[in-house]
Amino acid sequence: MAARVALVAAAGMALGALFGRPALMAGVALALILARELQQLRRLQRWLRTDRLDEAPDAGGVWGDVVGMIARLHRRKQYHKRRLLRLLRELRRSTAAIPDGVVLLNPQAEILWFNRMAARLLTLRSRTDVGLRIDNLVRQPEFVRYLGAGVFAQPIVLRSGTSGERYLQMHIVRYGAGQLLLLVRDVTRQEQLETMRKEFVANASHELRSPLTVIAGYLEMLANEPQLDPALAGPLQEMRRQAVRMTGIIEDLLALSRLEADAGPVEGVDVDVAHLLEQLRRDTLARSSQAPELQLQIDSASHLRADLALVQSAFANLLDNAAKYTPSTGTVTVRWWTDAAGGHLAVQDNGIGIAAEHLPRLTERFYRVDAGRSRATGGSGLGLAIVKHVMQRHGGSLEIVSAEGRGSTFTCHFPAERVRAAAAAA
Amino acid sequence: MEAADLSHHTSRRFNEDLERVRSKVLAMGGLVEQQLAGALGALIDGDSKLGKTIAANDYQVNGMEVSIDEECSRILATRAPAAGDLRMIVATIKTITDLERIGDECEKIALIAARLANDERPPDHYRKVKHLGWITQSMVNKALDAFARLDAELALATAREDRVVDEEYEAIQRQSITFMMEDPRAIRRALDVMWVVRAFERIGDHAKNVCEYVIYMVHGKDIRHTSLEHVEQEIRNRGARA
Repeated sequence: MAARVALVAAAGMALGALFGRPALMAGVALALILARELQQLRRLQRWLRTDRLDEAPDAGGVWGDVVGMIARLHRRKQYHKRRLLRLLRELRRSTAAIPDGVVLLNPQAEILWFNRMAARLLTLRSRTDVGLRIDNLVRQPEFVRYLGAGVFAQPIVLRSGTSGERYLQMHIVRYGAGQLLLLVRDVTRQEQLETMRKEFVANASHELRSPLTVIAGYLEMLANEPQLDPALAGPLQEMRRQAVRMTGIIEDLLALSRLEADAGPVEGVDVDVAHLLEQLRRDTLARSSQAPELQLQIDSASHLRADLALVQSAFANLLDNAAKYTPSTGTVTVRWWTDAAGGHLAVQDNGIGIAAEHLPRLTERFYRVDAGRSRATGGSGLGLAIVKHVMQRHGGSLEIVSAEGRGSTFTCHFPAERVRAAAAAA
Repeated sequence: MEAADLSHHTSRRFNEDLERVRSKVLAMGGLVEQQLAGALGALIDGDSKLGKTIAANDYQVNGMEVSIDEECSRILATRAPAAGDLRMIVATIKTITDLERIGDECEKIALIAARLANDERPPDHYRKVKHLGWITQSMVNKALDAFARLDAELALATAREDRVVDEEYEAIQRQSITFMMEDPRAIRRALDVMWVVRAFERIGDHAKNVCEYVIYMVHGKDIRHTSLEHVEQEIRNRGARA
């Protein structure tokens, strides 16, 4: 470039020398060059302004180089852009195809993006709803509370649809800088199955009860029959025992169904725990001829705000279990105490205990630690399930600690708001 | 959609205030929707316990109305909003009044449902009432959606559904009269049902009002007491010009 300018200037000067005006001619020549370069620059500018960067204009020298470089940069950019777009499209397509609803929210819970399933489940519209707050459109108070509380450990299940015929499970997950990912899943089918199961158990138990009452009644009549063949006395006795056991199972099943049907927390009345435990102690001792020693240790005079029938059945179950699995030489200690965390009732025995692998499944229905031992003692297999449900209804929990051969401790923890100081209760 | 963009304020606090009010209105709407669903459920399933719970929950709706009302007054006093913002505040104050009334009607329905649960059920198991309930429920839902999205078209379409509610109301009224003539023992129940149906009809009216406030908020035009055809024409014209 510099060489060309020098050459042209020199040629101009030489030509000018012929006419005696070397400086002028050199100036004219340089001006011509400058004009030409400026024109090229103008063309470059015009080309860059248009969107058709693919079609590079012809240009010579340095300008041709510049044009070529720009065109190459542009091509590379286009290539990357296309690749990214394709990736993005693939990503969008795959998230859109996820069978669950997905909604991305910013920290203010405003909608950033959602997939097709979310649009269908929550009746969102892609054209208008981006930027709106999710709780403005999903207005169920339960969801608004869930979103507001900001604790997303557990998903929640909402009823939706005009007649509440649809169940949606909503789960919020935090990601990035305070962004939220809302996962929506249609769980209508599962909820229906669960409802069906509960209803089936309740109905079946109810239907079994009446025939069983008849059988038990006739068995009792037969047992009192003086002319009965003495060889039948033994089998008859066993039949009566089993009928009583079966009645017990059905009663427990019905109790569990009722507990499940009323899911809400119980209001409750004032329960004098010390008095209740004394009464239960007498009942337990009366039921069994070879019961272990039963000690009561009442460390608090506080009362409990609870459903009397429910806690009575829960405590009775724990006492019965302890009495059953402790030899008559052993000791069962029942302790009632209160602290800042709430009220606690512990039933401790030094009986046969439970191996660690059984502990997590102990409160399942009909779970048997050892098939032989629990049938022999005549349990329904539902006792601990009932205790667990009763505790849940009272906002409390059941804690089980046990070591095989050394005994077990079952502790009911009640929340502090259920504990009433003795003076206030009186 | 220009009205949906509340982000043009220089004062970020003002924006947040307006957004918060809007969210509160919709939260109140969600509560009212739940009350309505519960009241209808109590009636259909003959669940007197649910009916009593719903009736006892009405105080929450009232509480929210008072709180939103106060917030609106505060914004009016301290921010002196103009144009679209002013319309939004005015529409909000009116909307919450209607929502609160819907809440009252739900309480009424729930109380009657609790009482009817102990009576013998009519042969049609409240099929027509259920249908009417669903229509009003969907009207309230769409009215609140229109409020959330500032969607005047949806508001207009929903306001128009009020006619269906009125027709259903008439039909059930005629049917009830027939029941009463056939069996005088059913009169007490039929009268109770009439109260329920009347409440649903009122809920439809309130939902329609909310729709009208949405149109006012978006287009700045008061369409109360004007025919809906006229309003539609008006909105079309605006759309064509814009």
